[in-house]
Amino acid sequence: MRIMYINNDGGGFADFINVEEGMTIEKLFKQKMPHEEAHDYLIRVNRQPVPKEYVLKENDRVTVTPTKIEGARPVSQ
Amino acid sequence: MKKYKKHVRAANMLLQALSGLKKERLRQIQKKMEEFSFKCSEIDKNSHSFNAAVNRGWYLAANKITSRVGRNLNDFSHHLDQFKNFIATDDIKLPTLGDIVAGMLQIEQEYGEIKFDLEAKTISVITDSIALEDISFGAFEIRLFINEIKKLHSESPYKIIALEPNPAGSDDEVTHPHVSHEKLCEGDGFIPIRKAIGQGRLCDLFTIIIQILQTYNPDSPYVALSEWEGTSCYDCGYTVAGDDCYYCENCERDYCSQCSTYCQICDTTICLGCSYECPDCKKPVCRHCTAVCKECDEMLCTDCINEEGLCQSCEEKRKDQNNEEQKEESTEANSGAAVLSDSMGETIVHA
Repeated sequence: MRIMYINNDGGGFADFINVEEGMTIEKLFKQKMPHEEAHDYLIRVNRQPVPKEYVLKENDRVTVTPTKIEGARPVSQ
Repeated sequence: MKKYKKHVRAANMLLQALSGLKKERLRQIQKKMEEFSFKCSEIDKNSHSFNAAVNRGWYLAANKITSRVGRNLNDFSHHLDQFKNFIATDDIKLPTLGDIVAGMLQIEQEYGEIKFDLEAKTISVITDSIALEDISFGAFEIRLFINEIKKLHSESPYKIIALEPNPAGSDDEVTHPHVSHEKLCEGDGFIPIRKAIGQGRLCDLFTIIIQILQTYNPDSPYVALSEWEGTSCYDCGYTVAGDDCYYCENCERDYCSQCSTYCQICDTTICLGCSYECPDCKKPVCRHCTAVCKECDEMLCTDCINEEGLCQSCEEKRKDQNNEEQKEESTEANSGAAVLSDSMGETIVHA
């Protein structure tokens, strides 16, 4: 099953990925970000917040955005 | 549908800007290709020269060409890597008009009203009031300039405008630890922001910016929260708390304790730049407590100038001179008397 996965952390990955049928949003998050905590992220499916038991469907659009993103003063070169 | 007229018009503008961005990227690829092609032609030229040199037995020239080729190969590999990396970065995938409008509706759902200025071609979102570690910075307007999107890779096409500014004491242009002159220092958000803009993901863009505004990075702020309320020393720039700040009454600016002093005659606070060190007693004094010696024109503190307006050394010189004159006068008087007593009627002629 193909879904759109957008990760606004780090490199800002945004592309279609294949996931197993019946995968929940919680499982996807753990699979994609094994060292992170879900409460540190804003997770939306099809632009809406969903419960962690939400079962992903074909063509769903999943976005993951960290709640804390550190700004920094640019280093002059 | 009329309700979303502005959304659709703004989405269309954004789509056009993204097409322009895509075109710009293709132009950059073309430019890189030309640069690469030029590097290849240099190798070709070297190959011909090398061939000619070997055929004619010019081994010294052949050696020179070999070392030049060696150097050029290093450059070549650098350019090749750059070119490969540039090509490998994500292509700009244009969103559909529907995707952009859906993003706008998501913004309204998550952050409230979205403001369009279709003449100025801007899209704005107003944040809630932002506070970090009990310091409130008020609400901010995040204004995206659609026309500026084409410069995405060199400049930020948006501004962060403080609506109820509480700027840092040391710099009025710093309205948030990571915002200066309405520019956000994106830090970890740099790449995700560019990708979100490039792919027309408006809600992701505003969300990332808001998350940056709500996060404090103590390692690299423009002004640290601990120094927010302070005043910047006009001389060294160090931020000082209100109580440790010294106001120079001469130049009317604020200074830290290291860059200020006080006049040791009248006790006025002055900065080091406005203080004058008396060359005689070495005390720092303000300009009001200085005077010029009438004799040598040197500027000293008023304590080192006597009532006659002379410095100590001129005063001593004058005393010596007076003594000399007195001596001379008494000598003259004595010798005059001697002449008179010994040689009555002779005239005294001074040498």
